[in-house]
Amino acid sequence: MTSVEYIEQPTVRTEYVDARGLVPVGRRPSLHDYIADLWRRRSFIVADSRAKSATSNKDYLLGNLWLVGRPLLDGLTYFVIFGLIFGARDGVENFVGFLLIGIFLFGYTSRCLTGGLGSIASGKNLIRTFAFPRAVVPLASTLREMLSTFPVIVTMIVLILVIPPHARLSIWWLLFPAVFLLQTLFNIGVGLYAARFGALVPDAKVAISFISRLWMYGSGVMFSIEQISDGHPLVMAISQLNPLYCVLELSRDLLLYEKPGDATLWVVLTAWAVVTPVMGFIFFWHGEEHYGRE
Amino acid sequence: MSDPLITNASVVVDDVRMIYRVNAEEGDGRRRRLWHRATQVHALKGVSLVARQGETIGILGHNGSGKSTLLRIIAGFEPPTSGSVLASSTPTFLGVNAALQPELSGTRNVRLGLLAIGLTPKQADAAMPDVLELAALGDAIHRPMKTYSSGMGARLRFAIAAAAQPDILLIDEALATGDAATKARSDERMKTIREQAGTIFLVSHAAQVIEEMCTRAIWLHEGQIISDGPAHQTARAYRWWAWCEAKGETDKAQVVLDDVISRYSRVRVSLAEPRNKRTRKARARR
Repeated sequence: MTSVEYIEQPTVRTEYVDARGLVPVGRRPSLHDYIADLWRRRSFIVADSRAKSATSNKDYLLGNLWLVGRPLLDGLTYFVIFGLIFGARDGVENFVGFLLIGIFLFGYTSRCLTGGLGSIASGKNLIRTFAFPRAVVPLASTLREMLSTFPVIVTMIVLILVIPPHARLSIWWLLFPAVFLLQTLFNIGVGLYAARFGALVPDAKVAISFISRLWMYGSGVMFSIEQISDGHPLVMAISQLNPLYCVLELSRDLLLYEKPGDATLWVVLTAWAVVTPVMGFIFFWHGEEHYGRE
Repeated sequence: MSDPLITNASVVVDDVRMIYRVNAEEGDGRRRRLWHRATQVHALKGVSLVARQGETIGILGHNGSGKSTLLRIIAGFEPPTSGSVLASSTPTFLGVNAALQPELSGTRNVRLGLLAIGLTPKQADAAMPDVLELAALGDAIHRPMKTYSSGMGARLRFAIAAAAQPDILLIDEALATGDAATKARSDERMKTIREQAGTIFLVSHAAQVIEEMCTRAIWLHEGQIISDGPAHQTARAYRWWAWCEAKGETDKAQVVLDDVISRYSRVRVSLAEPRNKRTRKARARR
């Protein structure tokens, strides 16, 4: 192959350009413009999330039944290992309900985390073809998880009502949608954070399974942290700062134990639900220029 | 010599450099390290050009000359290492990637694409028939897009992009794959886009395509522009060089290259305009 050295001293011709009306390409727009642009694409977010839910689980024979099947099998495994063998069910009132709520609700956040992480990679065809605010992609991913979680929640409610010792309907059930809403807001933020990490650090995919598992044990999905730690004040204080611990404890209190839930947990969860999506959005927007990279 | 002020510029590429850090291959005689050693690849070494409205600009060059990198930077998909790109509107890019959402049918992909370029659901529904007609995929439009040939996929994407009536269209070898029957149709649409005072960039390593479709051609060689002029002129020089290369006649090829380089004078871009005026204008556009 013939090659040329860097052309050192060629003749230079200057082109004078009237730059009025020209704007920089590929620069991150201001936060205000970005949000306005995103708002205009709201129907695109919905369409993209539908497109995604039409394609997930498609390769399996049972299709979307796995949305319910997977946590059920998980539940059975954990029931045998933690409930029977390690005896985590001793002293926990309605352990089956306790476990079901833990697994089904933790799974929601965990799926949003994984979905957000891979969202830029799976949306790369759209990203490299059309110019639109990239936040559409992780937002659509979380929206899809939310929509597919509704049947999962219904299954969970049916199960805790049917499996003995049956949970009883109480006035506090009316507060459960609030917990779900707060968890969803938190998940939106998680998805945005995960999307930028996933796009910039390929190794994040490996790390995520460990982080997710650690988070699961730390949130008391299949055992009561209070019992395991004997109510150690430091452990309890740290646990109460964990948004998922708040979600699980509050849901169990509302659905199983006919209690309104601890006020501290409500405050902590609300704080996470407000701060995480806002910070996550800004964090994602900051990397806007880099998501189309090969 | 003072050149006149260019008032109808649509894309300005100002001294763009692109350096990639890539993981080095093994086999350089050193011991394997725990982490990958990164080496730098200079994909673009200071590229400047000014595109005017109504121009169709072909970008020629052999594989690895930086053509696709340049196109992606103009599209705004990745920021250059240094330098900047200005444009009169957001460029629309047509790449070679096969499918948008492979599992979905062509129709649903069209709708998704129309929403992505910023149409409202109502506008998207209104634009649908036109897009489907231009794509001319027949019954295949109801099949999942992953079953499409690359030519069919390219046609569908072109039809979607044309619906946006883009002011600046960037095409990465996509249309070269169309067959004779559909080529006439998309040629016609290309003409319409051109008449709307749009600017088209077409990247290809086939000089023939460039010569047929473009008014101006740029020859990119190892990350530098070495020729910029009327399409037929640049394309012929390129074809002659490529032919010499293919025959293994390196000396002759070098002569052609040297000749081309000696006749080219590098472009320096000077943005002539008071700064405060521009920001006000940019704000008014929003």
